[in-house]
Amino acid sequence: MFNNIAHLFGRSGVARLKMTSNVVLVALLALVLSVSVYAQDENVLVIGTEAPVNLDPAIGSNDQEALFNRTVYDFLVDVTVDSDIAPALAESWEISDDGLTYTFTLREGVTFHDGSSFGPEDVVFTFDRLKELESSVLSRLGEFTVEAGEGNTVVFTLTQPNADFLYAVGARFTAILSSDDMAFDTGVDANGTGAFSVSEYVPGERTTFAANEAYWGGAPSLAGVEHVYIEDKNAQVDALLSGDVDFIFKLSLDQIARIEGEDGFTVLEVATNQHPVIRLHANEGAIGEDVRVRQAFKLATNREEINDILYGGRAVIGNNDPIGPLYGQFYNDMLEKPAYDPEAACALIQEATGEERLTSTLRLPDAFGGDYALMAAALQQQWAEGCIDVDIEVFPEGVYYSDGTWLDTELGITGWGSRPIAQAILVEAYVPGAAYNESNWEDEEVGALVAEAGVTTDPEARTQLYHQISEIFAERGPIIVPFFAPVLGAVSNDVQGLEMNPFPGLTDVRNVSLGQ
Amino acid sequence: MTQTQPQTDVTPKRVSRPFYKRALASAGDFLRQLARRPLSFIGLMLVIGFILMAIFAPIIAPFAFDQISTGPRSSPPSIDNLFGTDRLGRDVFSRVVWGSREIIVIPGIATAIAVFFGAGLGMMTGFYGGWIDEVISRAFDSLLAIPAMVLALVMLATIGPSAVGIVIVIVLLYTPIITRVVRSATLNVRSLGYVEAARLRGESTFYIVTREILPGVLPALVVEAALRFSYAIFLTASLGFLGLGVQPPSPDWGRMVSEARNNYTRTPWEMVYPAAAIAVLVVGVNLMADGLRRIFRYEGQER
Repeated sequence: MFNNIAHLFGRSGVARLKMTSNVVLVALLALVLSVSVYAQDENVLVIGTEAPVNLDPAIGSNDQEALFNRTVYDFLVDVTVDSDIAPALAESWEISDDGLTYTFTLREGVTFHDGSSFGPEDVVFTFDRLKELESSVLSRLGEFTVEAGEGNTVVFTLTQPNADFLYAVGARFTAILSSDDMAFDTGVDANGTGAFSVSEYVPGERTTFAANEAYWGGAPSLAGVEHVYIEDKNAQVDALLSGDVDFIFKLSLDQIARIEGEDGFTVLEVATNQHPVIRLHANEGAIGEDVRVRQAFKLATNREEINDILYGGRAVIGNNDPIGPLYGQFYNDMLEKPAYDPEAACALIQEATGEERLTSTLRLPDAFGGDYALMAAALQQQWAEGCIDVDIEVFPEGVYYSDGTWLDTELGITGWGSRPIAQAILVEAYVPGAAYNESNWEDEEVGALVAEAGVTTDPEARTQLYHQISEIFAERGPIIVPFFAPVLGAVSNDVQGLEMNPFPGLTDVRNVSLGQ
Repeated sequence: MTQTQPQTDVTPKRVSRPFYKRALASAGDFLRQLARRPLSFIGLMLVIGFILMAIFAPIIAPFAFDQISTGPRSSPPSIDNLFGTDRLGRDVFSRVVWGSREIIVIPGIATAIAVFFGAGLGMMTGFYGGWIDEVISRAFDSLLAIPAMVLALVMLATIGPSAVGIVIVIVLLYTPIITRVVRSATLNVRSLGYVEAARLRGESTFYIVTREILPGVLPALVVEAALRFSYAIFLTASLGFLGLGVQPPSPDWGRMVSEARNNYTRTPWEMVYPAAAIAVLVVGVNLMADGLRRIFRYEGQER
């Protein structure tokens, strides 16, 4: 607020008056101004977050950058919180039978914040610009060309089928820019079609957005949005509790505990696909060569207990595959949850090895503020019940992933970040010859199913394929996914209709309103 | 100051007594001297207390250090769990008690080895001088130019975190420092009359170094050893905190603090007790070292 006042002074020239004789006048004026500024704040949603650095949608990738861009811009299609595809600037689309041509029909009568109208040339400009800037989303879009089609359409031509193409089109890098903005700069110049336009951007401090009354989806009920940049998470919690901000995200359990004790706030919790993989080498001669040993490890792992220890039960218990609940219908929720049965594990170990007990060394990175080491200590105790004795070796995270330890160790834990699509992680780590095939698992059937899923555009058929893959993982996969970590946020109870996105920066505030 | 002058072990008339007897006599003397100063006495008692705790850990601690579910998870201090429990339900009190072993034994062994090498190299370089002195001193100077923590992190990252690794790191870090201290003390002693006399008597170099020079540098060495021990404790705890210490589930105090710090506001007991244990032990060792230093300085002034 004081910054606003100072700014107004500077502009109106009050500050140039002689200080000595005008202090009282200035103070009075400040009071009047601050009250009027405050009055305008009533219907403004205030979000506390870290400061963005690169506001170019093609480049900026973290939550705060995405949050800024999500507020100002629109996308051709929206990826919903449930991982569905919804129309946005494209009213509808058609996919050719060979899966190589996507024709988007654009919405009519949409205008940018500067008043210019939106059309196919803006889409072409945006996507060509992604190529020019070598945006990281290109790896997901695959090779394509884009051109204006007949009427109000845009045609994308792919060189090979990509079943996740629409998800890439709706990814956070593909915000539609105006083709007039040839010298696009960040922040102040941001000119989108979104529900809010930038009124003021103060780098490192705050951005204020005003509602776009001419928004194609109807004027938002909020008068505006404000992003307040607070680098320290605990200070963000303070700001929320004192009423300075309405919504914060990516909190720790400890921070959540502070908020839960207070009235007037709701804790938000969304499952992501971020998960640890406890895996065995499955190649010949390795610890997990025998499927019975793999199954023994699964049976000896008490997932509920680990969820309780690390997340107070807030995480989602995983199957034994990387396809999490974030992927909507691709997640196999029909699959029976892995049971904890140390006695059965013992029996399998003895059957497979001929020995009473199995000994090994569990190696892991010191990740998530010691959480992984804590999980390892719990696993050590759980597995001991199942006739598996392990020593623990914890490595600094950087060392673990950079010197090859994570690929070389027979038994290890790897942290996998949330990938927006299931296909990406399967291709990266679980098909024969994959770049990060950390478990040395060469299952031809999985390889074939993953390849097929990559080019199958029919959602039902694709779901079948992914479910089949999950079943194979449960039956003979060399990995344990104990849980999918939640992302935690908190919101003031004055805020209605806010649904936090698994990637919190992409949280949609268009339909949010304020007031009890 | 009404204090009696402590027995000095460097006077030529005592040379005939067996070395170990003199050492024992002087050790007893140090302890008596320490006990006479209130702060040093507190330091001494704290160190002895921790050593007893380490020795009798199995009796004192109600649970094994790695036993999970000794009580409800993350529960505050109670009769059953004196210091509360951590997120795995392990007893924090038992872990702190068991942890005293590692935090005393690892720095203790490491300091002892560093003192052994440091004393040997320091007396050698100080006694011989010449090119040996030049080579070793310059090599150690360059080693000392690198910040200790950085060097420790690089070395541990290379050889892998383990108890042996920490001992190696501490020995490599502290040997040069001790060498330097002993070397300068040796230079002072070397030119004294009784050393000169022994040389003229035709005594062997080994005899001169162990019987004439060692007792002379002993005060400096003992004070330095005590100081190094306290630094070694801190270094061990810091490495544990940074995840480069002894491997879990060992009750490493530094690691315990590190594991608990994310939940500090919810479960402060998880972090406070091991942190306090580190602080108290280091303060105790430092008070003791300070007492030693004062005794020796006093002695030195009298001589």
